[in-house]
Amino acid sequence: MASAIDDEDMPPELVDVTTMSAAPDSVKEEESTPRVPITLVTGYLGAGKTTLLNYILTEKHGKKIAVIMNEFGDSSDIEKPLTVNEGGQEVTEWMEVGNGCICCSVKDTGVMALESLMERKGTFDYILLETTGLADPGNIAPVFWMDDGLGSSIYLDGIVTLVDAKNILRLLDEPAPEEKADAHNEEAHEHGWGPVLSMAHMQISHADVIIVNKADLVTPEQMDAVRDRVSAINSVAKIHVTDHSRTPQIEGVVLDLHAYDHLDDLDFSKKGHSHIDPAISTIAVTIPPVSADQIPRVDSWLQSVLWESTLPQPRSGPRDGHPVQFEIHRLKGILRLQDGSCKIIQAVRDVFEIRDSEARKDDDKPSQDQCKIVLIGRGLGPVVDPWKQSLEAFIGR
Amino acid sequence: MAAVATRKCNGVDCPNDAGTLQCPTCLKLGTDSFFCSQDCFKRSWSEHKNIHKKSNFLTNLFPPKVVSEPDPATGHFNPFPSFQYSGALRPVYPLSPKRTVPQSIPHPDYAKGGIPISEQKLWGQHKIKILNKEEQEGMRVVCRLAREVLDIAARALKPGVTTDYIDEVVHKACVERDSYPSPLNYMHFPKSVCTSVNETICHGIPDQRPLEDGDIVNIDVTLYHKGFHGDINETYYVGDKALANPEAVRVVETARECLEKSIELVKPGMLFRDPGNVIEKHAKSRDCSVVKTYCGHGINQLFHCAPNVPHYAKNKAVGTAKPGMCFTIEPMINIGTHRDRTWPDDWTSTTADGSLSAQFEHTMLVTEDGVEVLTARLPDSPGGPVPMPSTENGN
Repeated sequence: MASAIDDEDMPPELVDVTTMSAAPDSVKEEESTPRVPITLVTGYLGAGKTTLLNYILTEKHGKKIAVIMNEFGDSSDIEKPLTVNEGGQEVTEWMEVGNGCICCSVKDTGVMALESLMERKGTFDYILLETTGLADPGNIAPVFWMDDGLGSSIYLDGIVTLVDAKNILRLLDEPAPEEKADAHNEEAHEHGWGPVLSMAHMQISHADVIIVNKADLVTPEQMDAVRDRVSAINSVAKIHVTDHSRTPQIEGVVLDLHAYDHLDDLDFSKKGHSHIDPAISTIAVTIPPVSADQIPRVDSWLQSVLWESTLPQPRSGPRDGHPVQFEIHRLKGILRLQDGSCKIIQAVRDVFEIRDSEARKDDDKPSQDQCKIVLIGRGLGPVVDPWKQSLEAFIGR
Repeated sequence: MAAVATRKCNGVDCPNDAGTLQCPTCLKLGTDSFFCSQDCFKRSWSEHKNIHKKSNFLTNLFPPKVVSEPDPATGHFNPFPSFQYSGALRPVYPLSPKRTVPQSIPHPDYAKGGIPISEQKLWGQHKIKILNKEEQEGMRVVCRLAREVLDIAARALKPGVTTDYIDEVVHKACVERDSYPSPLNYMHFPKSVCTSVNETICHGIPDQRPLEDGDIVNIDVTLYHKGFHGDINETYYVGDKALANPEAVRVVETARECLEKSIELVKPGMLFRDPGNVIEKHAKSRDCSVVKTYCGHGINQLFHCAPNVPHYAKNKAVGTAKPGMCFTIEPMINIGTHRDRTWPDDWTSTTADGSLSAQFEHTMLVTEDGVEVLTARLPDSPGGPVPMPSTENGN
């Protein structure tokens, strides 16, 4: 990394001291400057991340986009390069990440570096962060999914995962040792459960958008198999098929996902073979509208499921297939209240929130009268029934 | 800003005089380097930028070039003369030489290299350690010692003593108790205690500034003893002037009450996202704000670990309190804005508007049916609450 810095290194603009203001920057209290969305782009080496980012940077979209390539989590460098594209011109900026953490600070040093860069150099329309090929997005996403109270100038827009149509099935089924999600496998191994998880599983399970790339290199039958497998792991992510990382449009596909602050719908086509991946699956729990009193119970149920990895057992009823060893990677939900209002649930790993949703536009679909909670993770079991029974019993139905 | 004198260009082998163009990074670091042109700066960049990295690590060895000469009588100087301070407080360097701890006292892993490697392995994880009876006893012992050391430091406070002297007092008291002062070299922190004066929110570095009648000062002590860390801080009034300042009393007493009220919540089943709601509510009722950048933390064999305990409302903190968990709550309360600004020393955090800030901290253990405040005050502990100014009492 250090040598790469020297190759492309650019000094900042000198400042003229005679034009500097002597007064301290005025403190703008609670200003409501628009926040800049940050999208994480994950995928294995060779899946086409860099091609996609270069494609976005060179497309004429009239946006000022900052791209951070790789190694963001590596804390050994003091300065990190960041490529900014505006009007077809690329400029490399340097973020000072500081020489370490500040103890017990709630913000990541990378977040603070981005904020400070935007303070000095002006804001961007979008930030794209390319993670290393073997990064677990579930570790990175919570860093950028900050509490509103922190008043950060950036917010997590979503996770885009690129998969290579030609290699993805091999990566899922027979990961090389370095391609395994070791932290997850260790625990699983201790408990003696589950097939080996690859980092490709993690990248797909956490994704809000999945771009299946290199379509030109596989047969239509192979592409169907890839699609089936990917959507069996993560049924709620939007899937786009492309070649040479050329996405038909950028907004809504890679940018403006609003995956953490907005839920359009959670309808997805269930093809009835949701457990074709041996490790990870998506399940959807649907229940009738809840009362306002039941929201704290839903909250407690989520605490148990997400924090303790424990599915509360109903006192009565069948206990066959009650999942006991599972881990949730991503959870989204819509809670419809009996008074007609609506709340949304978002979770990545053990971090979650329940927040008010804005008013709905079309309420004519019957499916939208229901509460729906979608879970993506490992060890969820073959059927949704134990989850549904647990939730219903827990909230007192 | 003072008039700009003729100076030489800092460019590599450049014979020109420099104009008024200055390297922005150096400016931010509080050092000066002027160049004749952007081209010359660009040409010299690969060499020049090394200065930036050096100044981060070796500030103590090579004090940055200062615009204002050191005071001829004392040798004291402001290491970052061009930094735009938010209040009246300035760092008074040079720092005293690094203090040493006898090798017979167990050192934490960062004592040598400055990096808490054992903590970094767990960063980002939310799994909270539950201490067994022996470990709980270890925490009880170190927290009691931390209380003793804080009380000793607080008794040494008076107008005229420097924060560096407080550091010396704390350091000696730690060593006398077979303890390593945990802040020393933690992420390269240069001293054995944090002393945060007036607008300083936290992480103030003890230096040569004498305390003044009217100051408020927070002393944040952590000891590492027989494998466990114990963490505590309190804010104290320096001299009668501070007690006569209604704003000082309001912010200090509000911070004290915020900590007390949040501790009342602690018992098995408490959610770590809850103390922030209580703290922010109380601070607002006193027209004060809550610092959001820093939060309470788990503490045991590690100085900082899970859980995160934010002090602001509506947070997504993960986890539920269970018997055997140890953590701190340490609300930082400001008179004005909640926003913070860090000095170029990379540690001292001050309020962005220069308004007063106060903080209190306890280390606590969750018990079967409640909480044990391990760093609780002793009958003879100095400091303690004073009545709020009468205008507030009327409400």
